[in-house]
Amino acid sequence: MRRWIRLGAVAVSVALVAAACTKETDGTNGTEGGMVEGGIYRLGSPSTIDSLNPFVAFEQDAYNMFMQIYPFLVYYDENLEFTGDFADGWELAPDNTSITFATRSGGAWSDGDPLTADDVAYTLNLIVRFPGPTGLMAGYAKHITGAEATDENTVVVSYEQPINEGWALSQLLQIPILPEHVWSQHEGDDGKDLKRFTNADPTVSGGAFVLDNYEKRDIAQFSANPGFYGPEPHIDGYGLKFYTNTDAMISALQNGEIDAVETLPATAYDAVKANPDLVVLEGEGLNEDDFIINSNKPLHEELLDPAVRDAFAHAINYQEMVDTVLDGHGSPATTFVPPGSGEWHNANLEPIAYDIDEANRILDDAGYEMGPDGVRIANGHPMEYEVLTPNDVVGADREFQIIQGGFEQIGVKLSQKSLDPDALFVAIAGPTWVDYDGFDLAIWDWYMLQDPDFALSVLTCEQFGFWNDTGYCNEEYDALYEEQGVTVDQAARQEIVYRMQEIVYEDKPYIMLQYRDMLEAHSAEWEGFVFTPLGSYNNLTKLTLLNVHQVG
Amino acid sequence: MRGIDYVVKRTVFALVTIFVAATINFVIFRAAPGTAVANIARVPGATHQLREELTRDFGLDKPKLEQYFIYLGQLARGNLGVSFASQTPVTTELGRALVNTIPMVLLGTLFAIGFGTLTGVIAAYRRGTWIDTGSVSLGLFFYSLPTQWLGLMLLLIFAGTLPSGGRVDPFLFDPSPVEHLLDVARHMILPSLTLGLVLYGEYTLVSRSAMLETLGEDYILTARAKGLRDRRIVWAHALRNALLPITTLMALSLGYVVAGSILVEEVFSWPGIGRAIVDAVRARDYPMLQGTFLVFTLAVVLANYVADLLYFRLDPRIKE
Repeated sequence: MRRWIRLGAVAVSVALVAAACTKETDGTNGTEGGMVEGGIYRLGSPSTIDSLNPFVAFEQDAYNMFMQIYPFLVYYDENLEFTGDFADGWELAPDNTSITFATRSGGAWSDGDPLTADDVAYTLNLIVRFPGPTGLMAGYAKHITGAEATDENTVVVSYEQPINEGWALSQLLQIPILPEHVWSQHEGDDGKDLKRFTNADPTVSGGAFVLDNYEKRDIAQFSANPGFYGPEPHIDGYGLKFYTNTDAMISALQNGEIDAVETLPATAYDAVKANPDLVVLEGEGLNEDDFIINSNKPLHEELLDPAVRDAFAHAINYQEMVDTVLDGHGSPATTFVPPGSGEWHNANLEPIAYDIDEANRILDDAGYEMGPDGVRIANGHPMEYEVLTPNDVVGADREFQIIQGGFEQIGVKLSQKSLDPDALFVAIAGPTWVDYDGFDLAIWDWYMLQDPDFALSVLTCEQFGFWNDTGYCNEEYDALYEEQGVTVDQAARQEIVYRMQEIVYEDKPYIMLQYRDMLEAHSAEWEGFVFTPLGSYNNLTKLTLLNVHQVG
Repeated sequence: MRGIDYVVKRTVFALVTIFVAATINFVIFRAAPGTAVANIARVPGATHQLREELTRDFGLDKPKLEQYFIYLGQLARGNLGVSFASQTPVTTELGRALVNTIPMVLLGTLFAIGFGTLTGVIAAYRRGTWIDTGSVSLGLFFYSLPTQWLGLMLLLIFAGTLPSGGRVDPFLFDPSPVEHLLDVARHMILPSLTLGLVLYGEYTLVSRSAMLETLGEDYILTARAKGLRDRRIVWAHALRNALLPITTLMALSLGYVVAGSILVEEVFSWPGIGRAIVDAVRARDYPMLQGTFLVFTLAVVLANYVADLLYFRLDPRIKE
């Protein structure tokens, strides 16, 4: 579950991977049967909706829901391109400091009030005015100075500096447009009341669906919004059922209690695949596991030695990890910008070879002599380290065991300390969150974004105490990070992004372990799924729920 | 007067226990590694300003002692605070969770008490027979089963027959009150049965043992000599005295079942207090943690308090 929390926290922005990118589709996206209009689409989720308030919500399903019940300016289409949602089109100003959006007409909120460009301007200005109370959304309004509705169907978003269009749209894709007539009643003094507004069901909605009923940790029911400005969905509504037990969720899918599951555990893949009534979708995801080496002040100084890091990288059996932990549903990792990020993933970087002899040679050459008990000596002490592991990442224990086995062969002894995510972060960053001086090694995972900005940011000095989980701080890297953020030309930006991945590949604050495939499953009685690195039901696009339908 | 002394003493003891537990609840979660702000402040583009604002909003910028007295002051007014994670009052969150948990736990517990006591009494009455052996073996078997494992097995066995999780069917739009009730009842069967089966073994063993002791008493022999029917001897004379240890067990298990519902709720995705506490631990949501653990404390203390008062009624020796 933690992975989903972390995912929810970043409210992932990813480009769609069209059906063509999936390894197996079993004809799901085809049109073999006739389309049956209507019906309720029943979806099982291992996540949950923790709050109906976008300034409070944290879990992934909450963000998925916002995509369905609120208008967004843009979302992704099947071809990894931005397309208009509430925006009918947009134009970047010649000086790259503002974007003018034409918005769709005829839309209405579910309480009957008209949906206009004023709501867009209100929402963005609300976040700009109250960055503290809207903190969870404020990060996406970075560099925005304000928004102005010049008429009912036009809104201009202004920035404090020239921006890259793709970056700007990827940020706006995370901000739901809220009804001004509702939220303006709940600002309080300096926006302090915004977080306390429950936004209870039935929630005033303006997207393709209306939230009718929500029972915390249990269910959410949605019906099609007759006032939606876009195409009419083929279903009457959909229901979400939240499971804490994935075995129960898979059992419900197998028995026809639900039509689809948001994610399929790799361990259940074979059983579900064998069921002729079900279809499994698999494709590159954005979830990756990493081995962290403290790059600030490790308890043992030799861990800063590049030779030690190189040797460590050669002592890890990446393929065994994929085969055992993921049951083959993934691949050995190279860089922290995953393949699911598309063009931003630097595919020129080669997987590091698992080579125990080479690892031993490197350590021998670097002068780390083998001690009498088979453990090497560094700076007068045995090379024995504690590895912090998250207790909620499936397979983390097995990953540790595989690493431990490899390291034993190069004279390095590891022990494990398992912690929950919150305690793990504090153990890494230290009690004041900026020290990074109380640990040596750790294993953790990431859900990255399609736009690389977020992935690149986690290794900057500025992220000490927030996303930085390595203590890595490199001036050259930070300068490149700033540069890529304001580089308007896409190819030039890509070059910088590649260079940044190369730097990290060489410095090894992370030794990347494996990329996890995105797996999901649904009943063969349903078609119209648009599969992405986050699955079909996500916060990137409304397309799946606009297209999904039963087959006759 | 002795009776009033007893009640007063028990009441003071219960109140002191609650106060101590409330204090421990405050200290223990703050002593745990991690902070309430760490996770929430980790959002894209987060700033130190956001973190400071959250810390201030949550009242965590104040000295611990001051936080403690504020907490006690609010507690005395019945205010459990506002959940850090959901920004809704803890009482609302707890109320919502308890409304879901209590019927499920109650059903399971009643099943355990009724069935367990019945089998225990019959086993004692038929001691040495295959009924006794079978009853004890079955009771031991269920008593020794891990709750979550039993839950998973029941899930597999009844897959396709009974719902695999949750409290209601999310795909039943606008059900009538009767439909809703039946729907909840169907969803409640497996979690309640899991809880009931694990608890029932304990009741069988304790009531059998208590009944065996009581059935050997002289007054039972006297009753038999007077020609009373066996059924009357067992249920009207022996069982009443055997109720003392059973009452103790009921008090103990009530506390357990509220806390023990965590495992059942996780297995069956039941949206009750067990899941609320798991979420609160993950988020270091101090007000929710304090609130839920206070509920656990109250459940145990109250159950024991009621048991103490029942003892007073059931056992005349206490009055002396």
